Amino acid sequence: MAGGDGDASGGGEVRYPLEAESYRLLCKIGSGVSAVVYKAVCLPLGSSSPAVVAIKAIDLERSRANLDDVWREAKAMALLSHRNVLRAHCSFTVGSHLWVVMPFMGAGSLHSILSHGFPNGLPEPCVAVVLRDTLRALCYLHGQGRIHRDIKAGNILLDSDGSVKLADFGVSASIYETPSSFSGPAVHAPPLSAAASLGSSSSCCFNDLAGTPYWMAPEVIHSHVGYGIKADIWSFGITALELAHGRPPLSHLPPSKSMLLRITSRVRLEDAAETCSSAKRKKFSKAFRDMVSSCLRQEPAGRPSVEKLLRHPFFKGCRSNDYLVRNVLAAVPSIEERCKGDTNLCGCARGARCVSPCRHAAAAGVAAKNRRISGWNFNEENLEFDPAEGAAAEKKRCGLPFHDEEEDDRELESNSAGDDNDDDSRTAATQGSCHGERDQAVGFKEVVVPQLMTILESLKLERSMVMHALGSGGCHVAADGDGCGGMAAAPGEEREEMLLGYVRQLEHRVEELSKEVEEEMARNARLEKQLRLRERVHDHKTNSSQASESN
Amino acid sequence: MKGLFKSKPRTPVDVVRQTRENLVHLDLNSGSRGGDAKREEKMAELSKNIRELKSILYGNGESEPVTEACVQLTQEFFRENTLRLLIIHLPKLNLETRKDATQVVANLQRQQVSSKIVASEYLESNKDLLDILISGYENMDIALHYGAMLRECIRHQSIARYVLESEHMKKFFDYIQLPNFDIASDASATFKELLTRHKATVAEFLTNNYDWFFEEFNSRLLSSTNYITKRQAIKLLGDMLLDRSNVAVMMRYVSSKDNLMILMNLLRDSSKNIQIEAFHVFKLFAANKNKPAEVVNILVTNRSKLLRFFAGFKIDKEDEQFEADKEQVIKEISAL
Repeated sequence: MAGGDGDASGGGEVRYPLEAESYRLLCKIGSGVSAVVYKAVCLPLGSSSPAVVAIKAIDLERSRANLDDVWREAKAMALLSHRNVLRAHCSFTVGSHLWVVMPFMGAGSLHSILSHGFPNGLPEPCVAVVLRDTLRALCYLHGQGRIHRDIKAGNILLDSDGSVKLADFGVSASIYETPSSFSGPAVHAPPLSAAASLGSSSSCCFNDLAGTPYWMAPEVIHSHVGYGIKADIWSFGITALELAHGRPPLSHLPPSKSMLLRITSRVRLEDAAETCSSAKRKKFSKAFRDMVSSCLRQEPAGRPSVEKLLRHPFFKGCRSNDYLVRNVLAAVPSIEERCKGDTNLCGCARGARCVSPCRHAAAAGVAAKNRRISGWNFNEENLEFDPAEGAAAEKKRCGLPFHDEEEDDRELESNSAGDDNDDDSRTAATQGSCHGERDQAVGFKEVVVPQLMTILESLKLERSMVMHALGSGGCHVAADGDGCGGMAAAPGEEREEMLLGYVRQLEHRVEELSKEVEEEMARNARLEKQLRLRERVHDHKTNSSQASESN
Repeated sequence: MKGLFKSKPRTPVDVVRQTRENLVHLDLNSGSRGGDAKREEKMAELSKNIRELKSILYGNGESEPVTEACVQLTQEFFRENTLRLLIIHLPKLNLETRKDATQVVANLQRQQVSSKIVASEYLESNKDLLDILISGYENMDIALHYGAMLRECIRHQSIARYVLESEHMKKFFDYIQLPNFDIASDASATFKELLTRHKATVAEFLTNNYDWFFEEFNSRLLSSTNYITKRQAIKLLGDMLLDRSNVAVMMRYVSSKDNLMILMNLLRDSSKNIQIEAFHVFKLFAANKNKPAEVVNILVTNRSKLLRFFAGFKIDKEDEQFEADKEQVIKEISAL
């Protein structure tokens, strides 16, 4: 049965067992909102190379997608077969988790590689190899009538032999499926409110829209236009920039702002990309810049197809995958070491983030079972209550991943606010007085004020969400309290207090931001006035100098 | 030289005929080992033809499908036994061709020729094909392809009735619990389709088969230790009982104390999702105006626990209907 050893690309030869006992989890190599990825070994396969696998454990209780969507993803992964597309060996349930067993990609995602060895981006020949293989995968997917919808460095995986595979079909859609089943999480969300809720910086809200904000094409944000294959091309272009720079463009802004800029297109991304690559480090070839900007045309129809991209001069003379082994893999620590250093990956320390199906979590799950109503009384002969079972300590299931993101967001907020100030003061300080500058200032105001307003809106939304969560949190406490007495009450109170703390913080921020908006508006008015004044002076000066010249 | 004779483009009828010839060839030579090169050549031709059928039916990147071409294709396809050959030989095709074939068969179920659905008529006189498709759940390699075809075939009411009334219905209770997630979920999707799509047929089936069906449903699915099986089953039960066409079945279901006990246990399941789905069925027991004594007994015995449970029973997002239903249930139980 285990015949096809050595032939990993063939797949399907080795049958992977369908029960948890046959696998030993070695270490955690990635985690998301409702899933954790482990490196694992398949015990019955012994020491052969296909025995090492990656297992994605999806918590079906927490996953916002309904079971049909999860099934559709699993089915897609089982039916895709291409050397550059990650295929699932098999999937089965373990309690309320779905385990998807996949080939282990020794070098991890390109995102992880960037952040652990290439913070300023990969060398261009390496970018070319990764992009070429990504295009081959996309070519296959598009030929199958599939749209990936979430292309980014984090979803491109590299194996220790330098082979590249595109992964994660959590949001992919098939144009062959009937419209009713065409329900990626994104389709439900009305475009504008969804864009606003993204600003609420809660990671679970990101899933309301398909894809991840920085990589999203404008028409995906404007989702009423519908997704097309060309949305993938946009994300591909952004991914190209991400690989080349180490991060996606506009990523210094919080996601909501980045999205807003793209919708309003006040800042043209083509330009952003151009200036980025030429101003910072003039190291990108013209072919690269040309390829990327063709992908980032606002009009989907203007973007090239995958086939056309593969014929682009940028991919002429593209190196082999060995080149990646020598130039990329050699420069980054192994995936195990990367994960060791990254404390963020330890879900357990974060309470709510811990979705690990490891032994102790399973035990906690059993304990959690007990805290529900302590058994009904179906004993008709003597209508007495069964003795209530004592509920064990509660496993917290608090669905509030707000905290960390909020901090990050605030940091970004203040950073970019700082930038704004710099820009403003620079504008004010510059002595030159060309008309362009005034336009810039006005344009700037137009961008900044609505943005701040949106952020304010989203903060209000966030506040109401926290209030709501607080409401249900309180109820949990009540429900726990009934059967089991004090044990659960203490952490409950603590949590309530924590939540109240959040709410107060948020309220504070809303106030702050409203003040900031007002200030911003006032300052803009002032600046405009100044500019107009200076313009007049300038006009006056030039007039007089002209006058003096003519004299 | 060959190029000279290629000037005439192939019609949809030609493509179907050649597909059939390829399949017949495969049929005749399935036993023989010799001539691998020849065989591979034929296979490649077949793959190409099936892909061509797909692009006629679905259109390709540049063009939309043409109705007239689809009609011709459909007529020719069902004029002889092409569907049978395709289904029987599917396991011999490569993965990509299997996927194309599945999409072709799926599309053909919706094609009309002079406002008649030809596929339905064909299947009615070839019902054994459904037996083959259903047994596909026992073969991992073709389960997802046969499963997808099967779900398209049971869009036809007469075909769904055939499957419902066949012995196959019992097998679904096994298929749903297969360890392989994609296949179990596929079987589950088909099972759900069978039990919800054609209202009148379903109501008739449930009425005539009430005893064994709900016995199996309760003991094997609702009481399963498998999380997914339980979650999908309780959801399906809600969908079935809340459907207007199944009122009689629902009344019978909510008059049973055994059923109530199962539902009450699901209410305190460790999974919130299962609790919520269980509530949507439990509320029917509480709302029943003619509760039998045995049901009232259980509700009264557990009244205080139930009220306490519902007081703390919330869902994550706001849902007015849910809150209203909960209020109603609380009122009914308090008034007993």
